[in-house]
Amino acid sequence: MSLPNIETLDIDGAIREAELAVAGDTRASFFRKAAVGGGAVLGSGAILGMLPTLAHAAPSAKQDIAILNYALTLEYLEAAFYDGAIKSGNLKGEVKQFTQLVLKHENIHVKALKATIKALNGKAVAEPKFNFKGTNTNPAKFVATSLVLENTGVHAYLGQVTRIQNPAILKAAGAILTTEARHAAAIAAVIGKSPFRDGTKTSVTPDGAFDVPFSMKRVLKAVGKTGFIK
Amino acid sequence: MPSDARRPAIPPAARLSANRGRDRLIRSPGCRANSTNPDNRSECKTMSLPNIEILDTDGAIRDAEAAVAGDTRSAFFRKAAVGGGAVLSSGAIMAMLPDLAMARKSTKQDIEILNFAYTLELLEAAFYEEAIRKADLSGDDLKLTRLLRSHEATHVSALKATIRQFGGKPISPPKFDFRGTTSDRKKFIDTAYVLENTGVSAYLGQATRIKSDALLAAAASIVTIEARHAAAIAVLRGSSPFNESDNSVTPDGAFDRARSMKRILKALDQTNFIKGF
Repeated sequence: MSLPNIETLDIDGAIREAELAVAGDTRASFFRKAAVGGGAVLGSGAILGMLPTLAHAAPSAKQDIAILNYALTLEYLEAAFYDGAIKSGNLKGEVKQFTQLVLKHENIHVKALKATIKALNGKAVAEPKFNFKGTNTNPAKFVATSLVLENTGVHAYLGQVTRIQNPAILKAAGAILTTEARHAAAIAAVIGKSPFRDGTKTSVTPDGAFDVPFSMKRVLKAVGKTGFIK
Repeated sequence: MPSDARRPAIPPAARLSANRGRDRLIRSPGCRANSTNPDNRSECKTMSLPNIEILDTDGAIRDAEAAVAGDTRSAFFRKAAVGGGAVLSSGAIMAMLPDLAMARKSTKQDIEILNFAYTLELLEAAFYEEAIRKADLSGDDLKLTRLLRSHEATHVSALKATIRQFGGKPISPPKFDFRGTTSDRKKFIDTAYVLENTGVSAYLGQATRIKSDALLAAAASIVTIEARHAAAIAVLRGSSPFNESDNSVTPDGAFDRARSMKRILKALDQTNFIKGF
């Protein structure tokens, strides 16, 4: 089974370059060291240094395209997942209505991301072939998987915000990111789960006050494990 | 950055002034403009701040409420899913570029942005705190509100510490008057919904202005929580978690809307929730 790997997204080798270029300290860990070394009082609960540090190289237009393709892949996956769920005819009531609306959003995101890549003279990745292994046709499995997928999207976008060079893309990523968070919270509420947890143990900070970014590597690994992308 | 007592004093962080009809001034803590003591008067320094037009009514809140009133959540989903909904033209995202001012980023501006966020979080925390005491909430309502309050309180202390970490001065917590919105369940939930959506737009509006990557990451990690708050409240309210018509770039809720600091502060002014400092 072919799993998504970095090469399938990394048309220009930008991501590979970025990962190789990472060296030494990430910015946040530098702050931590500098603050401690300089004798500054950080105060309890300062944000800097609290979140996982994600290494990254300098932003670039090439990297922006790679990030957009990464987002596009995740949106393709979500759209296909929801599309399959609707087509199965097994969803009812509020879950069905939620899904119809979310599918509409994901399709819009796909279109918008493709158009942006094109406008930047990049090449959009083609839509992968998916096999959701019955997770979108069985209503109980569907909602649980949807919860994980939407939260994965939140983590994924969060992991990229500081890597984006073009402010228009950053603004758009922000606009999509919060929509995915609304999706996640809404599906959680619909199935009676906390809107601040993502169905796995570790992703939102224990009290739910800060969402946690995931690196591209981590997200792709998690997506790979699902086996959804053929 | 580590603070250093020997550096030249950083100008006081931006403060909101409750003075109606006057230009917005930023006053240092020791400012007493009418004092007979010249030392106190000399403490009054001013810096430029976006001018806030003061409006008379709670129009913005009412408009937002009216836009969602009457829709049950499922009725909304049905309408939005079935109805046309805008399909973005191919230029949609790139079209966002023109309205992004090419402002210069700076640590000073980051501090101002932090204090802006701090103000909003202080307001939300105080609002939930008061609602827990006054709104006679129970069951899921109370459970959610307690959780929201704890999140906002965490945001408040984290932002305050971060302002200091940047070498800035946190504004003094304002005095609030929530004008009866915390003593009635329905008013509380309606107001909470608007406040959370305002918070989302406020953070999104600052994303492209932030200089520090760590601060950007932190702001992003907060804004998604505010979006979850908004969605959770919407569910409690029986309205859509997505399409608050004032909030979305597209009518179908696929993109959240960023709002400028000026616009958010104006909306805040219109609530009359902030009495002073």
